[in-house]
Amino acid sequence: MAYSIQSLAMTVILVGSFIETGSITMLLVVLFSMVVKVILAPIFFIRLINKHQLMFSVSTYLNTSMTLIIIAVLTFLAHSHKFSPLTTIVPTHQALLSLALSAMFLSLFLVINRKGAMSQIVGILSFENSVLAFIVFAKLEQLPALQAGVIFNILVWIVIATVFVSMLYKHFGSLDITSIKHLKD
Amino acid sequence: MLIIIALIATTLICVVLRYRTVVEFFSAVASCVVLLGSSVVAFKVSNSGVYAPFTFFSVDSLGAILLLVTGFIYCLTTIYSIQYLHQESAKKIVGLTRVRQYFALLNLFVMAMILAITANSPVLAWIAIEATTLSTAFLISFYNKPSAMEAAWKYLIINSIGLLLGFFGTLLYFTAISQLGLLGFASWQTLIDNAIHLDPLIAKIAFIFVLIGYGTKVGLAPMHTWLPDAHSKAPAPISALLSGVLLNVAFIIVLRFKVITDLVVGQHFSQIILIVFGVLSILIAALIIFTQKNYKRLLAYSSIENMGIITLGFGLGGLGVLGATLHIIYHALIKSALFLSAGTIFLKYSSTKIAKINSAITALPVTSVLFLIGVLAITGAPPFGIFLSKILVVTASIKIYPFVSWLVLGLIAILFVGFFRHTTAMVFGDKPDGIKLGEINTWLVIPPMTLILVALYLSFSPPQFLLILINNVVLNFK
Repeated sequence: MAYSIQSLAMTVILVGSFIETGSITMLLVVLFSMVVKVILAPIFFIRLINKHQLMFSVSTYLNTSMTLIIIAVLTFLAHSHKFSPLTTIVPTHQALLSLALSAMFLSLFLVINRKGAMSQIVGILSFENSVLAFIVFAKLEQLPALQAGVIFNILVWIVIATVFVSMLYKHFGSLDITSIKHLKD
Repeated sequence: MLIIIALIATTLICVVLRYRTVVEFFSAVASCVVLLGSSVVAFKVSNSGVYAPFTFFSVDSLGAILLLVTGFIYCLTTIYSIQYLHQESAKKIVGLTRVRQYFALLNLFVMAMILAITANSPVLAWIAIEATTLSTAFLISFYNKPSAMEAAWKYLIINSIGLLLGFFGTLLYFTAISQLGLLGFASWQTLIDNAIHLDPLIAKIAFIFVLIGYGTKVGLAPMHTWLPDAHSKAPAPISALLSGVLLNVAFIIVLRFKVITDLVVGQHFSQIILIVFGVLSILIAALIIFTQKNYKRLLAYSSIENMGIITLGFGLGGLGVLGATLHIIYHALIKSALFLSAGTIFLKYSSTKIAKINSAITALPVTSVLFLIGVLAITGAPPFGIFLSKILVVTASIKIYPFVSWLVLGLIAILFVGFFRHTTAMVFGDKPDGIKLGEINTWLVIPPMTLILVALYLSFSPPQFLLILINNVVLNFK
């Protein structure tokens, strides 16, 4: 659900980019992005959850207070002077670029800190959305055909990741990554 | 174009047709077409410098070398795979559906690698590299065992994060052309031509992201954690391609960004970073080699070491680049031969544990000799070319960083001893109980033997066109 909302926000940002360029192929990219991220991805996840009666695990390696402290530090870092070469690529968009950068950091932290396989998938997809947001705010958009290629890659990634989650659950009876330890040899 | 058509057609045949012989036949034909096509491209590049038949695709000298290596190893692994999967079918490990899936994914994997090598745009190259992750994830989990599933999951997650970091780094390079209105289809050449407009600080940050991102795929320490698991759990022919080809394909992308970064901030920045990552990779492999219990993991750690040497060579520049380029070729051939030999050992003993392999020389006389020769070659024993390439890389650092030279020499010696200790335990010893003596099938011997022989031939007398290509690479990356 959260990923869906984030992707919808991303699509709205891309619509802004379409309005700016007026390119029809860009509109197609926007529509493709919406179909893949806002509609298809959540459908895949919901089906998967229903099929295996999965519980969406939110357990983390760090405790809540430590997690919140790290989130605060990462957000502060993204807005700090250290990353100003990145956030001032387009000076008028500094706040937006800092926001996208902090979203990237937090998504990465989500992947590392969460124990659930589903959380890791959402973290990676969220990271991809954050990178995309950064690209749009920094005005670094590529040829629509290449953008479509990237989104197609994401679609394939989502399909493969959900298949893997399903297979992991069949093999291990859990999606908790800490319970998957068969590579000790 | 013919190469891509052949691979797409064969993939479709594997998906649609349900006749094993047809699938095998067309896969073999496709691999020969790829080898032929890549040879033609390599000749053209050696004659004209760059081969760019379409806007989206372009092959330079390093690309041509990698294309040729890919075509050659793909051809031999396909021939090996046919017999390997026959043996696994006889043991009731895989059925027809799995065989069709295997060849379809193998062809997609090779196609993605070829697209990554030939892509004229960094974004297109990223898409192709990401496609290699997606096509190989199912090949790593091919045996559907819990450990294989875990390895594939680890591979998918770590590489996806790495590649997204690489993607972010890639797009930062576009800040050089965004203000000039040159966005759209930005080729490598466009980025090189406009490198002057890139902010030096952004160039540095972008290169770090690219190196960490694509370096994950290369298997550089400390981002290497997925590699030993994935390479040891995949079927042997796939491990050969993963180790021999894919790592180099990802590395070529790093090198292309290095050229742009060097134009903006000078060579020193990328040099230091590449040297650090290179030495760290060799160090990690050396520290872990003695404790290994699984011979496929042993080979995987050797890949980390060798990618470290290649990274170090390109970092050092000059003579190091020559050593690294030769190392790419020799390592790809020898490591593939080793993985294919390891596959045959696995078929015979049904185990990848070193402790369970005894007297392989009596059980598999030819394969064992090939394995032993391969180990000698990969650890840098003369007369194999790897001896020369390692010496060149070490020599390159003697003047500028003598400490690095001595450290790397020491680590290479440790790796040699560690490798040899494990290999002698496998090859010699008491006759194994319950193991039928003799080679399993000639077609399991020919591919690794060919790879070893070609590596030996290239060590003494590389053909003229290859020398031209190597020379061009040295000039481009000096």
